[in-house]
Amino acid sequence: MVVHGDTGAPLSSRAMSSAATTSPSVDKVDGFSRKSVRKAKQKRSQSSSQFRSQGKPIELTPLPLLKDVPAPEQPELFLKKLQQCCTVFDFMDTLSDLKMKEYKRSTLNELVDYVTVSRGYLTEQAYPEVVKMVSHNIFRTLPPSDSNEFDPEEDEPTLEASWPHLQLVYEFFIRFLESQEFQPSIAKKYIDQKFVLQLLELFDSEDPRERDYLKTVLHRIYGKFLGLRAFIRKQINNIFLRFVYETEHFNGVAELLEILGSIINGFALPLKAEHKQFLVKVLIPLHTVRSLSLFHAQLAYCIVQFLEKDPTLTEPVIRGLLKFWPKTCSQKEVMFLGELEEILDVIEPTQFVKIQEPLFKQISRCVSSPHFQVAERALYYWNNEYIMSLIEENSSVILPIMFASLYRISKEHWNPAIVALVYNVLKAFMEMNSTLFDELTATYKSDRQREKKKEKEREELWKKLEDLELKRGLRSDGIIPT
Amino acid sequence: MDAFKLMKELRVNYEQEVFYQPKETGLSLIESTTQDDSRISAKCRDAKVEDLWSLTSFFGYRTQTFVLAVNLLDRFLAMMRIQPKHLSCVSLSCLDMAARVTEDECNLTSTDELIRIGQCRFTVSDLGRMEKIVAEKLNFKSKAITALTFLHLYHRIALSHSTDRKESLSLEKLEAQLKACLCRISFSKAKPSILALSLLRQEIDAIQSEDMLEIAYHIQRHLKIADGELLLWSDRVAQCLSDYASPECSKPNHRKLQWIVSRRTAQNLHSYRSVPELPTIPESCWDESESEDSCEDAMSSGEESLSSSLGSDAEGPFFPLHLRRQKHRQYLHT
Repeated sequence: MVVHGDTGAPLSSRAMSSAATTSPSVDKVDGFSRKSVRKAKQKRSQSSSQFRSQGKPIELTPLPLLKDVPAPEQPELFLKKLQQCCTVFDFMDTLSDLKMKEYKRSTLNELVDYVTVSRGYLTEQAYPEVVKMVSHNIFRTLPPSDSNEFDPEEDEPTLEASWPHLQLVYEFFIRFLESQEFQPSIAKKYIDQKFVLQLLELFDSEDPRERDYLKTVLHRIYGKFLGLRAFIRKQINNIFLRFVYETEHFNGVAELLEILGSIINGFALPLKAEHKQFLVKVLIPLHTVRSLSLFHAQLAYCIVQFLEKDPTLTEPVIRGLLKFWPKTCSQKEVMFLGELEEILDVIEPTQFVKIQEPLFKQISRCVSSPHFQVAERALYYWNNEYIMSLIEENSSVILPIMFASLYRISKEHWNPAIVALVYNVLKAFMEMNSTLFDELTATYKSDRQREKKKEKEREELWKKLEDLELKRGLRSDGIIPT
Repeated sequence: MDAFKLMKELRVNYEQEVFYQPKETGLSLIESTTQDDSRISAKCRDAKVEDLWSLTSFFGYRTQTFVLAVNLLDRFLAMMRIQPKHLSCVSLSCLDMAARVTEDECNLTSTDELIRIGQCRFTVSDLGRMEKIVAEKLNFKSKAITALTFLHLYHRIALSHSTDRKESLSLEKLEAQLKACLCRISFSKAKPSILALSLLRQEIDAIQSEDMLEIAYHIQRHLKIADGELLLWSDRVAQCLSDYASPECSKPNHRKLQWIVSRRTAQNLHSYRSVPELPTIPESCWDESESEDSCEDAMSSGEESLSSSLGSDAEGPFFPLHLRRQKHRQYLHT
């Protein structure tokens, strides 16, 4: 028998959690907490202030099945079932209200089917009830994540306990929105900005299944409610800006970007200034976040879509990426190189010429990176036919930029696979523009000779200085004779 | 060095060069072969020589190594019929042999590295055996008189005669041009002394030096080279060099090259090119004008944000128009 206190949650959660926290000193070795110890700490179980029960079990009177009732009575029964489903159950407490939980689950299931196949069930009274039921179930304060120690890339996410019900509510809502009878003009009274705002907050849920449903829900809402579009874009804007500049924490970035991808894809031409601003002020800075790997694929897709819509944006985009080029994180560098290749795949030759110099200066640095994956990824550009054709057209500009690093790493790089790839690149350049290549080789060689000569002279000078008997040579005023 | 001694050396080399020339009939045979799997064609040989040049350059070998390697290769191909599939082994052996003769020991690249970079399929021992075969067939010890030998001699002669003009005849440039010519099998039929002289003449014409021209004539007379022959090869050289220097680049045949990347990199390639699951939502021109809620709702920041974000574009056609419509609508509602 589990005790429900007045303030419901804290007592029950304390009773449930058996976390034995070890003292801080054991945790840390050399100042870094050991991962094994971190994992051993049991995760604090979810608690929620939602479930404020009075101590008595929830009772719902079972209603007849919709299919067993004649058609004229169905709409009213439908409303009653919706009202019943407004009751929320505490899934933290695995033993309570089992029968009622099952009843709600089967009711929800029934509603999902009903919405999918029925005709003429959607009366005007249904709309507010539907929205109410959905709101009661999904809108809640999300529990705080397991603090700063939660690494989205490594740790398992905390899944939503009431998923058996929640999933069906989402499923129901989506089918409702997609129903042939759905009328946005009626719905917009209930699905308003306040609703959307709460929906967006849910994107921070740790449960990826929930975020996936939310993504579909928001996508449909954006599609059907033209009046909410500007508001939604504005709010997503705010979420991203907060994410980038304040918290660096938000779990739903990938899903929001996926929605944005489908929106960008549908932009009308010429692009509105608002959208261009969004690209430059929000999407590009998104690249600076530490957890980029979680949403990079979606972000890159958005960027490329923008460029396909308006090629004149290429220069600001690439300059932006170069400005934010990762300096210490090689994993990010590899991602950037991947994205850059995607951009180059669709670039127009006139745009390419504008940014080729700063671009290849960066590529030249990447190619000489001691991190072999970065070097490898950069060198692989030369296997891309379209990029090769662009390079060929502009070899007189690009070759001098790349030459020195390529030549140097062919002699100095530690990784033999990289050396082999460099050979391919140098060979390609050789065939592209032999005269220029020979000139550069000659210059490089003579530069190296000069350097070696200088070094030798310097060494000899030092030797001479050493040979000088400084002690004896020192005059009384401290001046060393030359 | 003493001009007289140089001329004497020139004479000696001139008399000897014929022993190091590939058989003309053999070369002609290669030239006349069409693309075939059983015989080496000119195109085949030329491509291989270009590869040799790439490798020479990559490993930092001298031009002399390259020229010697090509000389060995041509001599061998002119006397032995080999299958195209063995060509890379033969050419690499020639390069290795030439390198051992010309380069310092510390600069030599190991044979397995040669094979790895050259992306060849045979083994180190295969290479060793081939080298022995080539050396045997050619009676090769270490000496070969090539066009480079003559180029160097001509250059020194020119230097010794006109000390004030020593900057203008660039030996490096001449070497690069020689390399370009050697990439075509037809030039292997020329006598090295004549080929070198043609190159010299081209360069002299380019820099337009009377003195140099004098020296070139002097050499020609000394070696008793016929005008006709010199002219013939000069024309061909001119043609070749104009192709070499042309701004039009030959499209690199990089498809032949292997691009081996690590597993992790290979996994991440093209990971972004996935078709998105969500269907496109087309933007309508009157998106914003449908939003009656957004101007009435107290929470709305949509309206202000729209005008502020479009602020910079206030001149745009869509900015004033839709606002005007909004105001109109508002009026209607009150």
